Amino acid sequence: MLLGRLLVPAAAALAVAAGAVAATGTAAQELRIGYSADVPTLDPGNHRNRFAEGVILNIHDALVARTDDMAVVDELIEGWTQIDALTYEARLRRGVRFHSGDEMTAEDVKFTFDRLTKEGFMGGQTSPRKSLLGPLADTEIVDPHTVRFHLSAPWPILRAYLPFQQIVSKRFVEATGTEGMATHTNGTGPFRLVEWRRGEAIILERFDDYYGGAPDLPPVGPAGVERVIFRIIPESASRVAALLAGEVDIIDNLPVTDIPVVEANPATRVMTTNGTRSFFVDLNNAVPPFNDVRVRQAANMAIDRDLIVERVLGGLAVPLNGLISPQSYGYNADLPPWSYDPDRVRALLGEAGFPDGVDVTLDVDPANRENAEAVAAMLTQNGIRTTVQVWELNVMDATWREENAAGRNMRYRSWGDGALDPVGIFDPVLRTGGRGNFSRYSNAEVDALLAAAESETDVARRSRMYQDAQAIVREEAPLLFLWLPRDIYGVSARLSGWRPSPRGVIKIHDARVD
Amino acid sequence: MSPIKLLERLIQLGFVLFGISLIVFLMMEATPGDPVEIMLGDSLASAEQKELLRRDMGLDRPLVARYLHFVGNALGGEFGQSFFHRRPVADLILERLPATIELTLVAMVVAVAVAIPLGIIAAVHRGGLLDRLASVGAMLGVSMPGFWFGILLIMLFAVRLHLLPVAGRIGYSHEVPAVTGLLLVDSLIALQPASFLAALGHLVLPAVTLGLAMAAILMRVTRTAMLEVLSQDYMTFAEAKGLSRRRILVRHGLKNALIPTVTVAAIETGSLLGGNMIVETIFAWPGLGRLVVEAIFARNYPVVQACVLFYAVTYVLLNFVADVLYTVLNPKVRL
Repeated sequence: MLLGRLLVPAAAALAVAAGAVAATGTAAQELRIGYSADVPTLDPGNHRNRFAEGVILNIHDALVARTDDMAVVDELIEGWTQIDALTYEARLRRGVRFHSGDEMTAEDVKFTFDRLTKEGFMGGQTSPRKSLLGPLADTEIVDPHTVRFHLSAPWPILRAYLPFQQIVSKRFVEATGTEGMATHTNGTGPFRLVEWRRGEAIILERFDDYYGGAPDLPPVGPAGVERVIFRIIPESASRVAALLAGEVDIIDNLPVTDIPVVEANPATRVMTTNGTRSFFVDLNNAVPPFNDVRVRQAANMAIDRDLIVERVLGGLAVPLNGLISPQSYGYNADLPPWSYDPDRVRALLGEAGFPDGVDVTLDVDPANRENAEAVAAMLTQNGIRTTVQVWELNVMDATWREENAAGRNMRYRSWGDGALDPVGIFDPVLRTGGRGNFSRYSNAEVDALLAAAESETDVARRSRMYQDAQAIVREEAPLLFLWLPRDIYGVSARLSGWRPSPRGVIKIHDARVD
Repeated sequence: MSPIKLLERLIQLGFVLFGISLIVFLMMEATPGDPVEIMLGDSLASAEQKELLRRDMGLDRPLVARYLHFVGNALGGEFGQSFFHRRPVADLILERLPATIELTLVAMVVAVAVAIPLGIIAAVHRGGLLDRLASVGAMLGVSMPGFWFGILLIMLFAVRLHLLPVAGRIGYSHEVPAVTGLLLVDSLIALQPASFLAALGHLVLPAVTLGLAMAAILMRVTRTAMLEVLSQDYMTFAEAKGLSRRRILVRHGLKNALIPTVTVAAIETGSLLGGNMIVETIFAWPGLGRLVVEAIFARNYPVVQACVLFYAVTYVLLNFVADVLYTVLNPKVRL
């Protein structure tokens, strides 16, 4: 009796609430994205975060854009000229408006790049994106629609790095302040910010006065949908459920294990693209046994990459014979893959003085433990007896920064490079003393090639230099090369016109929903 | 409770809080590596920023001085800067707190609304079918992990039946003017019944998931207390007076049986905060629990530190309230 008196009204209330919620369907022309993380900020000049970039790119445009095959095309500019080795000139597109209605001029472009490159320009703080602009020293206004970029050293890839820098309005930033820029936006992009419900959602609406975007990236014109909602759903099982329930149209980071469910549902499907993050194992070149090139080569031949990709990664990764993505500029396609060869491994280990095999450790952080264990199991099977040690990331980092990496043997790791240019991955990881060089690899020839490539202005010659460096590295095997995972998305059947970007961001301009 | 006893408890409380602050402070100290690098976590900072932070943290000063500085700041609600968000930590916590409070309160209401009637029924029908069902249910409720049960509810009610939303706090077409930050309250203040229902609908699954374990525990406590009460002489006496059974149960039974239930509920509310981290992550609930989880993944130590302090203090205070409540409700008990 008592139970009934208490529970019946409660149940009735819930049923009403449930009905009300279920009845609220998706409004027409509204695209919802199940996004796996909230963004730390919406300030285009104050982050180094891929999730932030993914949202910001839909609100702001840049001087140039990248096509899906990584060609660079004009976006907010109409012409690009090299004046000399240290000077480039950009002619701005006319009649481009910010969301506030202000017209974009050379003032805004200069301000944007000053904000990114000048020390302490953001209220005493220097932009964390400064290093993405290399030796860019100054930006000069030639006339209201022309700017010149002055470099302190030759840097031929300036244009290739401009898609990562979105143009902001000088007037708006000065009025809003650095702190305000974290939550307020005024871009030239296809969508304007309506509301950022922190931790919950970012709501955008179509900017009807949009100039149309890059002419070489059709369709040109206003965006295909009226409203976009980035819904923050960190748990992947919930993100998949939201897709299956029809609450969202695109989800990122679809787990390999959920692919069959999404494919089995008639209202949803899976889309993939090559990612930009290479996985590898640092081999400590400074201490035995990996100071011996034969042991390093043996390690590279002791792994059946195809098998691990097939069994552990669900077939959704590309085996690598080197550090960089096959999609990358300067990729050397002529180098043979590292094939799985247990006999050769035994022979090489014998030559190196380890006829009975060798005992080593593989360091890894908790997130990558499973894949590292798969690698360790195969190494062990072939005489490189590997013990996996799981570390807290901070402590592992600190240890590998010590002299000779404190004598550690191997570390499971990855390096992402959205620009798909060797300068962003090959250079830091393999150059002597590079900021990501934890294998302590050092080769004068490679260093010379990388230094020359840095200032080589001829695109083909520069590519050749990187390819030569890759050939040397292929032989010297400073790292145990692994694979490049594909980015996996789940999408609804009502979505059209959208393709996953190899840059790992979700651009919505072309998307439509029925 | 006599004023002296209360004072004694307050002094004890002071010691506990001191211990907590010490542990939270040392947590940072004991982490290997450069504290500045740790504070910055995965965010990129310039050399000047690092220098500035090093100065702000007073790393050149002795440990005790740094601890006092930390406590002084914490008392003033100053927890430093989250470099990941480039905003003050206190702002981040305040922004997320209302969602967590709302979810916790509703979960508590769900737990109490389920547990007390079930506990009474189980006690009254001791050994019967209902009692056994309730016992099995309680066992399941305690032992089912929240992340599994939550996903199960989502798959059934959102994906299969389309009755409730998968995740989130309210639909995106609803604009509720913020007054208290609690959407249920704010939507009523703004006279938006549709928003109220939407918020309620979004609350059902997370609140049930979160409240389940608490409901199970409360049910057991209520049952045991009720059984004890039922065997008391005054109950027999009331029956002998010829009072109706319902009147006996509610006026004489429940009133006394609720004393342990209320105190356990107060203590359990503290553990709801811990459960929040899981439930908020599953249901994409924009509360404090998720902020902590995200901060841990991003190695955002200032946020983790502040949140751990907040949780610990809340838990201790709730325990204190439970103690006081117990003596207030039951004058026979002295602390």
